[in-house]
Amino acid sequence: MTAPTPSRTYDLSFARYVYDHIDGGQRLKLCMQCGACSGSCPIGTQMDHGPRKLFMMIRAGMKEAVLTSNTIWNCVSCYNCVVRCPRQVPITYILHDLSALAIEEGYAEAKKADNARFAKAFWWSATVFGRTDERLVTARYYFSSGLGEGIKKGMANQAIALAMVKTKRMHLGMPHKVKGVGELKAIVAKAAEIQARHGKEG
Amino acid sequence: MNPKPQSQTVLVVGGGIGGISAALEAAETGCEVVLIEKGPSLGGRVAALNRYFPKMCHPTCGLEINFQRIKRNPRLKVFTMSEVTAITGGPGNFKATIVTRPRYVKPNCTACGDCAKVATSEVADAFNYGLGTVKAAYLPHAMAFPMRYVLAPEVAGTPEGQSIKAACKVGAIDLDEQPTHFDLSVGAVIWATGWQPYPATNLTAYRYDALADVITNVEMERLAAHDGPTKGQILRRSDGTPAKKVALIQCAGSRDLNHLPYCSRICCLASMKHALYVREQHPDAQVDIYYIDIRAHDKLEAFYRKLKADGQVRWLKSKPARIEPGADGRPVVCGENTLTREVYAEPYDLVVLATGMQPSAKPPMETAMDDYGFVVGHEGGVIGAGVATGPLDVSMSVQSATAAALGAVQAVRR
Repeated sequence: MTAPTPSRTYDLSFARYVYDHIDGGQRLKLCMQCGACSGSCPIGTQMDHGPRKLFMMIRAGMKEAVLTSNTIWNCVSCYNCVVRCPRQVPITYILHDLSALAIEEGYAEAKKADNARFAKAFWWSATVFGRTDERLVTARYYFSSGLGEGIKKGMANQAIALAMVKTKRMHLGMPHKVKGVGELKAIVAKAAEIQARHGKEG
Repeated sequence: MNPKPQSQTVLVVGGGIGGISAALEAAETGCEVVLIEKGPSLGGRVAALNRYFPKMCHPTCGLEINFQRIKRNPRLKVFTMSEVTAITGGPGNFKATIVTRPRYVKPNCTACGDCAKVATSEVADAFNYGLGTVKAAYLPHAMAFPMRYVLAPEVAGTPEGQSIKAACKVGAIDLDEQPTHFDLSVGAVIWATGWQPYPATNLTAYRYDALADVITNVEMERLAAHDGPTKGQILRRSDGTPAKKVALIQCAGSRDLNHLPYCSRICCLASMKHALYVREQHPDAQVDIYYIDIRAHDKLEAFYRKLKADGQVRWLKSKPARIEPGADGRPVVCGENTLTREVYAEPYDLVVLATGMQPSAKPPMETAMDDYGFVVGHEGGVIGAGVATGPLDVSMSVQSATAAALGAVQAVRR
């Protein structure tokens, strides 16, 4: 299922889609715009809108502005906002599900969202090995913006990489894997199948 | 048709403004009324207020009138230091058990204060919300009714108690007083036990516990009162210097599903009143009011509009996320200004949390209550009055109490 693209700048169809299909969307209706979330955010100053304003934009139907916002990508999942929200809106869940929607509908690609590419590299490692391999996740993320860019970023961060190897925070051998990677892959495949079958409700 | 009432006495539980009003209204129609108060004197939360909104008059004035009415009315009996521990029966035929704690001071006390002069130990000053201490023999407050001293139970059995007793010229100290209890047959019960402030310690992000200069709205009333711990000077709790930059934080624990889900209704106006207290003391003072939305209900909108004309009162539409200790020790209020999107961190001399109202006691019998513990309706049970029925300001409490008195009079005069 695709989120409806509003015919005008302000259109309620996107808000209704978010209420019904985004994880925690129903509680978003209860938001009273107090600002406790954006004020609690440790990196609130790094967000273009912050959760409170983003939620108002959702209500106003500003689909494109919401899905190209950096707010959905800059959330660090500290849950400070969720703990303090006087209406118990699961803000973190909503931001994460909105970022999934942004990838699904190509907004992340179009905006060349850095965090989206990092998230993809992370997901790749998590599903292939069942673990995050610092070296491969980083390499995959660096090269996702092109060969030249990848080499440039790699060279720029060489000192950090060597320091991490030295302190055993990164290793250079074969990537570590969980036991039974096959079973993990089966679980992920099943989850993808369920999601495809039920759409967002799944 | 209900059977004829067995008793025509009205029992009023709670001696705050609601209970006093209900008791007087019922007594002045000719009913026998018994008024029970847990504390040593009448007046409740209202006696501890500095001034009322919106007219900024002093509560002692209105209380004084009511105390005169009580003195003049032979049908109204007042029991302080007392609590109702059990109620059985129904309208027309209730039986109530009342327990009275020892006061150790008999009615012949002349309030001369000789006992306090010889008392050496100090106890927390309950009237001033523990902001200071009082001598172990003390008058609850300057306008106390009854005007009678109290002895703290801690010193009753000590040598200090003996010297206090020896100092009393009229022999009013009785160190052997024991708790007593008695049963009453009454035709109606008015439940007017009022409210208590929501505990600010629950609001962990506001660090009320850790930061001396973060106080609550009820404490602000005492700081501003001439008979309070600072003689009416609004001073910082940390170093005693005048508070000239003050933050007032609305909805501290109200309208919050993690604390009190409802709006306590009085806090907006109470904080606006606090802004006036500060502005009156210091022409150069700056007051910032942090709010979600201003709820100046009913005719109180005019008070809000008037305060808006003061250029040194800023209005910030924001629920602060947290309060942090600043490098200079001052509390720093942090959050997002929802109108400008600015993320702020603003230091203050004093931060006042507008904590809300929660019911303070529930009736010791089956009673219809709402989800928050406020008394609902009175069919077959006690009649709620004042803030025991929901958050109200003083004038609304008096209205509610008068309605409750009418219900009680109807119940006993069938």
